[in-house]
Amino acid sequence: MAVPAPPLKKPPKGRHLEAPWRARLRLLRRGLAGSWGMFWESRIGPLGLFIIAFYGLLALAHPILMATVWADERDVYDPKHGYDPQIIYGGFDGRLQSTVAPGSDDYYVDANGDGRPDYIYAGWDGVLQSKAVGDDKYRGGPAPPSLRHWLGTDPWGRDVFSQLAFSARAEFFLGVMAALITVVIGTLVAAISAYYGGFVDTFFMRLADVVLLFPVIAFLIVLGSMFQLNLYSLAVVLGVINGFGGITIVLKSQALSIKVRPFVEAAKVAGGSHMHIIVRHIIPNLLPLSFLYMMFNVTSAIFSEAVLSFFGILNIDMSWGIMVQMANIAGYLQGGAITKAWWIFFPASISITLLCAAFYFVGRGLDEIVNPRLRKV
Amino acid sequence: MWKFLIRRVLQIVLTLYLFATIVFFIVYLQPGDISQVYINNPKLPPEAREALKRQLGLDQPPHIQYLNFMRNLVTGNLGISFSEYPRPVWDIIKERLPRTVALFLIATLIYYALGFHLGKLIAWRRKGLLDYSATIVGVVLFTVYTPWFAYLIIWIFGYKLGWFPLGKFLDPVLWRRYDVPANEVFGLMLTVGGAAILFLLAVYVLGRKLHLPPLPRALMNFGALGLAGGSVAYLLWGPEFQPYGLLARDILWHMVLPVTTVTLIAFGGAMLLMRDSMLEVIKEDYVLAAKAKGLPDKVVRDKHAARNALLPMITSFVLALAFVVDGGIITETVFSWKGMGLTLLDAVTNEDLPLAVGTFVFTGIFALIAHLIADIAYAYLDPRIRYE
Amino acid sequence: MALLEVKDVTVHFRTKRGEVQALDRVSFALERGEALGLVGESGCGKTTLALTIMRLLAENARILGGHIWFKGTDLLALPEEAMRHVRWKGISMVFQAAMNALNPVYRVGDQIVEAILTHEPKVTVREARERVAELFRLVGLDPKRMDHYPHEFSGGMRQRAVIAMALACHPDVILADEPTTALDVIIQDRILHRLDEIRKQLNMSIIYISHDIAVIAEVADTVGVMYAGKLVEIGPTEAIFRRPHHPYTEGLMGAFPSVRGPKRELATIPGEPPNLLNPPSGCRFHPRCPYATARCKAEEPPLVPFEVGHLAACWHPRNA
Ligand SMILES: Nc1ncnc2c1ncn2[C@@H]1O[C@H](COP(=O)(O)OP(=O)(O)OP(=O)(O)O)[C@@H](O)[C@H]1O
Ligand SMILES: [Mg+2]
Repeated sequence: MAVPAPPLKKPPKGRHLEAPWRARLRLLRRGLAGSWGMFWESRIGPLGLFIIAFYGLLALAHPILMATVWADERDVYDPKHGYDPQIIYGGFDGRLQSTVAPGSDDYYVDANGDGRPDYIYAGWDGVLQSKAVGDDKYRGGPAPPSLRHWLGTDPWGRDVFSQLAFSARAEFFLGVMAALITVVIGTLVAAISAYYGGFVDTFFMRLADVVLLFPVIAFLIVLGSMFQLNLYSLAVVLGVINGFGGITIVLKSQALSIKVRPFVEAAKVAGGSHMHIIVRHIIPNLLPLSFLYMMFNVTSAIFSEAVLSFFGILNIDMSWGIMVQMANIAGYLQGGAITKAWWIFFPASISITLLCAAFYFVGRGLDEIVNPRLRKV
Repeated sequence: MWKFLIRRVLQIVLTLYLFATIVFFIVYLQPGDISQVYINNPKLPPEAREALKRQLGLDQPPHIQYLNFMRNLVTGNLGISFSEYPRPVWDIIKERLPRTVALFLIATLIYYALGFHLGKLIAWRRKGLLDYSATIVGVVLFTVYTPWFAYLIIWIFGYKLGWFPLGKFLDPVLWRRYDVPANEVFGLMLTVGGAAILFLLAVYVLGRKLHLPPLPRALMNFGALGLAGGSVAYLLWGPEFQPYGLLARDILWHMVLPVTTVTLIAFGGAMLLMRDSMLEVIKEDYVLAAKAKGLPDKVVRDKHAARNALLPMITSFVLALAFVVDGGIITETVFSWKGMGLTLLDAVTNEDLPLAVGTFVFTGIFALIAHLIADIAYAYLDPRIRYE
Repeated sequence: MALLEVKDVTVHFRTKRGEVQALDRVSFALERGEALGLVGESGCGKTTLALTIMRLLAENARILGGHIWFKGTDLLALPEEAMRHVRWKGISMVFQAAMNALNPVYRVGDQIVEAILTHEPKVTVREARERVAELFRLVGLDPKRMDHYPHEFSGGMRQRAVIAMALACHPDVILADEPTTALDVIIQDRILHRLDEIRKQLNMSIIYISHDIAVIAEVADTVGVMYAGKLVEIGPTEAIFRRPHHPYTEGLMGAFPSVRGPKRELATIPGEPPNLLNPPSGCRFHPRCPYATARCKAEEPPLVPFEVGHLAACWHPRNA
């Protein structure tokens, strides 16, 4: 006894001859335009995109600068082996102590000013070599930002800006690569467990439980002690671990709702094989959500790398995490020394935070489109 | 509820089994045979080498090795540490685990309470200045580079302001004066703290069960809080309990900064989550109905909206567990807080395989138990599960 | 003076796509003990009207004008705290999705006790629980059920519980927004009659909101017909059914089978309800009206009486 439904709108005439691919393209374009509008209105999404673009440009800038502005002084600006002999540094406020033993070229540094040596510098590849006995000027060391070194130099006389820009590329590579692996695995596993159910499903869901509770950092610390983890292997390991983790649970519940949609039933009735249905019907409909979770996984991969680098677990020569780790080894993060040379760790630390936040923001922006649950009225 | 809990416990046991199996495969069944690398480690004392060989049963076929591994795990026979030879790994873990648990537990309680209340407030007054700034602070805390952040905290509160000690678990100068093992004091602290929390919980539940009107119930809760606080203060400062009180205060004193750090790291995520969850719940009809009933704004917010928004918060606690455990490792390292995280890192640096594996497995078990507790809390808070 | 008088109430919603003109100068009066039925297509603003009276509109709503007089005070001018006391004690509501109006984490009885204790602080918990038991019996629920959780109730039981909750503080007016839509016909009928009996017994006023005219015909003394945010006709039930003046009302009558009479062919009103973002000029019904003229397009017809108590807003009234 309810109101009869209003008559259905007649389909628009004249378009029925349009080729299917054309129609698909048109729908895609319209969908994208609408989605972009929503993404833009989320505010947080475009902000993230802007930060990512900034670091993208920074990553691009490095080889260009090396080939142009820095071309004549490549050995000064090299992010890993650079050294600027022009920089004269006066020691840690004169607190650089005498050598450990006569004739040795190891030095004490009293970083927190309690009168006792905190760090010993052992033959740092020529950085402190030119110090003569009784001379209070040392070559190298962290120099504050200047026109020549936009973000100063690190304790070894290397250009911080060059390191920062050089590392940006590595961060992107690692983050995107790990997230891609995660999403590919996650989507496949989710589609398969939703489609087949039963034992396959139980197994993958329990596995996801384990991985969810896996302290990834702790695990990688253990792993890093056994294998040499470089950027590539780290990306693979992170990607695989996360791929079997929480993402499968989220994507599976989505896949379950896709599985019961009419077109899947229709495909089954039409005699589509299991593989055909999974690949052609379920997975394409999972992709938007997968893409969303990819953003969050980029964040987690970059963050993990930074932390592991800080512990010195990885076999990577340069990254933002390594930059902070080296500042820490040299004692610039401890106690009062933190104010002495902010430029050697602050740009790297803030970049980690910003890039992580940026991908998170983009994820949140996409969330508004993909996840109708969160959509505001 | 019992059905639900039993099912969850069984699931957790299964998960634990999977976890241990994965660890076994990674550590012992590598193509390059990692165990050989360790066996031939020159740092290893010869007796330890024999012990390790026996323990791993390296001459046995893999499935026997696997059974051995599992049996050793269940019986707590985790082998002998190389780096602290000849201490058994289990002994070391027994010493370090409570420190991590305490750090984690206190930080979790605080960050949950804070995240819950602030998230609730900003969602209720959404689009205000508070919402905007709190969201930004939340995201920054959530993505901030933890090691640097921890050092920053040390610098501000330990160095610049000088309010708290610069790291470490205790003040060695003070402890040298008394011949008391740190773990004994720490164990006492955990017992007292646990008892106080259980007591408060019992009083709270009793108050609810008795259907008391709001005022007597509030009086009862505050009375219990005062009683517990007073007793703890008496234990800490009372002359009968020295030097234990004094030493406990020293440990507490050293705990403040690490706890603050873990709390801050985890707080942002919790607050953002509560905000989202609350924004969802606000759209529900029962919240509108609660307003329509003429209930005061605060009652609608706390009793109806926030109470339901809490449920997804508990589910997500499980998701955040690994994050917090990882954050704890970083924090322990920076603060030289000798708990599980730092032990793991040291074990790895010293190539101490049994200790590293043992610590890692126990970190996993710890996370699983926290998971189980979250499940129980969920079942308690959601009648749809409680009365299944 | 009427118990509740709504005068020229206009409500807009701000959305990303523009202003939704959800209510446009709606006026009517409700006497004590009267049962008013409000009918209209989905989206015509019935729920918005009820929520405006309760002052519970969404954040993006703006009340652009009008007054709601309740026992002599203007609810729209009342401070929030005073309004809070009007809610439930003065005017209570049965929500459209009554099923979801119960908080899943509290016992059903406690949720009703809560409403009683809020408005009558002198009542003890025990007395309140006794009253809930009574209410449960009144709506045909077993009082033992009051300590159950909502998920342990069936849909029909929840509906009854929500009605019991609406009665808890003996309000002067109950706004029943589709109180029975989700239920099967037999239970629907039983609950409606129950509600009607209770109303007569306690001498309350009720506004029934429904898009089901057959339901309204059974229980309402007066019927108001809404179309696209406007009240287009209001009058005694008999008159509305026998001699509808507005063509839309006439169409609605044709669109519904008579409850008692023989089954007739369902007739639909051609066309679709207008988009409230940009409603038609003049009479909002004119694009769908078979009798529309140039005047209907240009000028908006006022709501004027054609007989005593029977008003309509139309330039070309039927049966007049
Ligand atoms: N918060 C809101 N924001 C924007 N538009 C709204 C909002 N609430 C309602 N509307 C719009 O106002 C109009 C009236 O809605 P209302 O819910 O009052 O209709 P109704 O008559 O109760 O319909 P139904 O019979 O389907 O319940 C609709 O066009 C609706 O889309
Ligand atoms: Mg409605």
